[in-house]
Amino acid sequence: MIALLTQDPQAPVNYVANPAPAPVLDKWGQLPELASTFDHVDGLFYFTYIVCIFFFFLILGVLLFSVVKYRRKTWDQPAASNVTHNTPLEVVWTVIPLIIVMVMFAWGFKGCLDMTTVPHEASRNTYVATAKQWAWDFKYPNGSTSTNEVWLVVGKPVQFYLESTDVLHAFFLPSMRVKRDIIPGRFQSVWFTPTITGEFHLFCAEYCGKDHSRMYAQAHVVTQAEFDKEPWNPPIDETNLQSLIENGKRIFGQQCVTCHTVNGTGSVGPTWKGLFTKQGDQYVGRQREVIEGGQKKTITVDDAYIIESIKQPDQKKVAESPYDRNTMSSFANLDDKRIKCLIAYIKSLADN
Amino acid sequence: MTTNVPVIDAHPTVPGLPKNYLNCSRGFMSWAGTLDHKRIGIMYLIGTLLTFLAGGVFALLVRLHLWEPHGMLFTNEKYNQIFTLHGAFMVFLFVIPAIPGALGNMVLPLMLGAKDVALPRLNLLSFYLWLSGAVLATLAIVLGGFDTGWTFYAPYSLYTNQAVVTIGLAIFLLGFSSIFTGLNFIVTTHKLRAAGLTWFRMPLFVWAIYATAILQVLATPVLGITVLLVAFERLYHIGIFDPRLGGDPVLFEHFFWFYSHPAVYIMVLPAFGIISETVSVHSRKPLFGYKLIAFSSLAIAIISFLVWGHHMFTSGQSTYAMFAFSFLTFFVAIPTAIKEFSWVATIWKGSIALNSPMLYTLAFLIIFAIGGLTGVILGALNVDLHLHDTYFVVAHFHYVMMGSIALAFFAGLHHWWPKMFGVIYDETLAKIACGIIFVGFNITFVPQFIMGSQGMPRRYATYVDEFHGYHQVSTIGAMILGSGVALMVYYLVASLLQRKPAMENQWGGVTLDWQTPTPPPLENFYAPPKVTHEVYDYSTLDLKTLQRPVS
Ligand code: HEC
Ligand SMILES: [Cu+2]
Ligand SMILES: [Cu+2]
Repeated sequence: MIALLTQDPQAPVNYVANPAPAPVLDKWGQLPELASTFDHVDGLFYFTYIVCIFFFFLILGVLLFSVVKYRRKTWDQPAASNVTHNTPLEVVWTVIPLIIVMVMFAWGFKGCLDMTTVPHEASRNTYVATAKQWAWDFKYPNGSTSTNEVWLVVGKPVQFYLESTDVLHAFFLPSMRVKRDIIPGRFQSVWFTPTITGEFHLFCAEYCGKDHSRMYAQAHVVTQAEFDKEPWNPPIDETNLQSLIENGKRIFGQQCVTCHTVNGTGSVGPTWKGLFTKQGDQYVGRQREVIEGGQKKTITVDDAYIIESIKQPDQKKVAESPYDRNTMSSFANLDDKRIKCLIAYIKSLADN
Repeated sequence: MTTNVPVIDAHPTVPGLPKNYLNCSRGFMSWAGTLDHKRIGIMYLIGTLLTFLAGGVFALLVRLHLWEPHGMLFTNEKYNQIFTLHGAFMVFLFVIPAIPGALGNMVLPLMLGAKDVALPRLNLLSFYLWLSGAVLATLAIVLGGFDTGWTFYAPYSLYTNQAVVTIGLAIFLLGFSSIFTGLNFIVTTHKLRAAGLTWFRMPLFVWAIYATAILQVLATPVLGITVLLVAFERLYHIGIFDPRLGGDPVLFEHFFWFYSHPAVYIMVLPAFGIISETVSVHSRKPLFGYKLIAFSSLAIAIISFLVWGHHMFTSGQSTYAMFAFSFLTFFVAIPTAIKEFSWVATIWKGSIALNSPMLYTLAFLIIFAIGGLTGVILGALNVDLHLHDTYFVVAHFHYVMMGSIALAFFAGLHHWWPKMFGVIYDETLAKIACGIIFVGFNITFVPQFIMGSQGMPRRYATYVDEFHGYHQVSTIGAMILGSGVALMVYYLVASLLQRKPAMENQWGGVTLDWQTPTPPPLENFYAPPKVTHEVYDYSTLDLKTLQRPVS
């Protein structure tokens, strides 16, 4: 999962509690473990799967048998039969598949109705998911927000309003069997009821440009008690440096890691390593060539510069290629507390 | 005793005999300006095979990149361009034009007993439109590439700063190439059938090409209009698809799939046609359920216009629309199933020659069964909501487009190669290559079914670690597949250099294409042929001389 978010698999970001599972090859023909109430998806999937396997082996069997039995032994061997049709047989193999697919159709449609009819409980527990190139913003029923991580209550039906600020995206929670395109300018929504606690992938399933594959969020399904602690908004103890650094690391992992690294290798934006160096117990900012209003100049990195870079990234652009060509969107919604955390984290990179 | 090498070589092509279409004239202009359907077919063959190889190289690059979860070769941006190139080249430059353009051109007039297609000049124009499309598409790469996916979904295709207009224009030209080819084949089939060749005596390849031609003429204009609208939107901001200007991106999806679903059948019907021929000839048995197959081609052609919405089940269309589209999608499965059953029944109790065209055919029958059946899984509404836009879909359509259509194309290529060039390739190498391709193909795409049902989204330059193993197996499979194709290209080219002569009627076919000399003379038949037998009537085949008695 971390590897998904960063160019460099070694990047020391491990704010996500569960480590990525080792590569496995043991899930032949299975859906991921079902974590919502939409069990009809699995039911119909496995039913169709078995029907398909049956027909596949029927066809394969007849083919192999014929090839072995009726293989041409001499060049002038005629066919063993010259039958051109057989009406009863043809009726049978038209009607039986027709019946089977009509069953699948009805079953699938019924399931689809279930997935598109939003129950009352869900519409009273409404989140907003805003997709943008290439991140997810979530707004909870109580108005608070989080980015690239969302917390849900187990057993509580939930509805998501889906919005896009730019191009098409799609909201895809494989474990919940939920997928819906997000279309700029259109109202879209999905609902589901998470049934087990845990961490689940939330992918963007509709191609949306460069970092489509890095447009990833994690869905945490937790108990009501845990949810009430608002884990997306952990208390920040401003007097405790360690707490600041930890929160800074968390915010970095949620919002900045798509473009920045902390290990010295450049990504979309410059790495944060080396922005400050430690001299004694003072953090000293490096010299930075920036472009401001078309003018190139050299400045010293300090808190004010970092704050400006976050709130008005276009004000002073890093002059170094290729970062001068890439853009960073403004994070004006980050409050001073969190920016303080980020600065503490960036400085802490100079510690070792 | 190997079964398929004929003991009696009654009519080897002897040099010095009357000139054929290949050696009747020489020089660049005799090809570039030719009106002969066979030479145009050969030019299409070379062109589409080259684009297939280019598309294949892009595919291998995509698979190599995905060896590592964070991507091994490219930046995300480059990766996006490369998978787009793979899709656009394969779909627009290879799969759609290859069978009608190369084999249809070559064989259709022969099968009808005609001298040429009805409109030879239009035929040459089609080829040059294809060529300009190919040149423009290549130019688009030079101009910086394009990263929209072959589907060009708005509004991304409107905002990205890449060569979308150029590739749009290329597709526009390719569309006209396709329309003209279709028109030509419709007129040819109606007007130029030989004496005695009634509609129900036409080989099924002709039926399939005919049904395809109807689709080409009716559906392709929609694609042309759509790409033009995208170009206008980009250049003049007319506000039809761009939500910022009050346009509707979903409208684009409707337009696009209104063409592109029938296009699936534009691609696959000719493949069905080839398989109908090869199954019958190499089992030496009349096609089982001839009429049902012919009508199912037409049924597919008509119903396929009414199912495009199944590509948009997640786009929030109304429940009623979903109901109709899902119902019709399941319905279209039936004629397709009928075809598969009929081919299998044809093989049953046949005289089955296990030569390379037949091996490719058998590979097709197995792979197409998987491709078709997984399509049924995707037709179910609630299941599709989970599988849509995942690798399951990628695997499904590769089973249809690569595994079925390309293999059918190879089957046809091996089947008519002796007819086209009067030479035969190395049969042993051909069988080995077919085996490698079959194995490599399945190793590539079976893991993609698994990943897809697990939730691996498509068009991802990087992915979560849990899919690592599947991606690696898939990449290994792609390398095997690629080496099989390379071997195939090698022995086909080598056969042209070694010039081992083919026989007049290499496989013992009874349709008119096997009644002409090999390779055919410029005007196909020395005397206007007359058809007195039902199609696929092998009782008239004189196996001792491999010649059907001339009526
Ligand atoms: C979409 C990619 C992107 C994201 C997400 C992003 N940045 Fe940036 N960032 C850039 C680019 C590109 C630059 C260099 C160009 C510039 O200065 O505007 C940059 C520059 C910076 C700089 C100046 C660095 C230097 O070396 O001078 C800081 C500080 C910074 N970003 C902080 C952040 C923080 C904090 C976040 C998360 C809240 C963040 N960025 C998220 C792309 C991004
Ligand atoms: Cu996306
Ligand atoms: Cu379709």
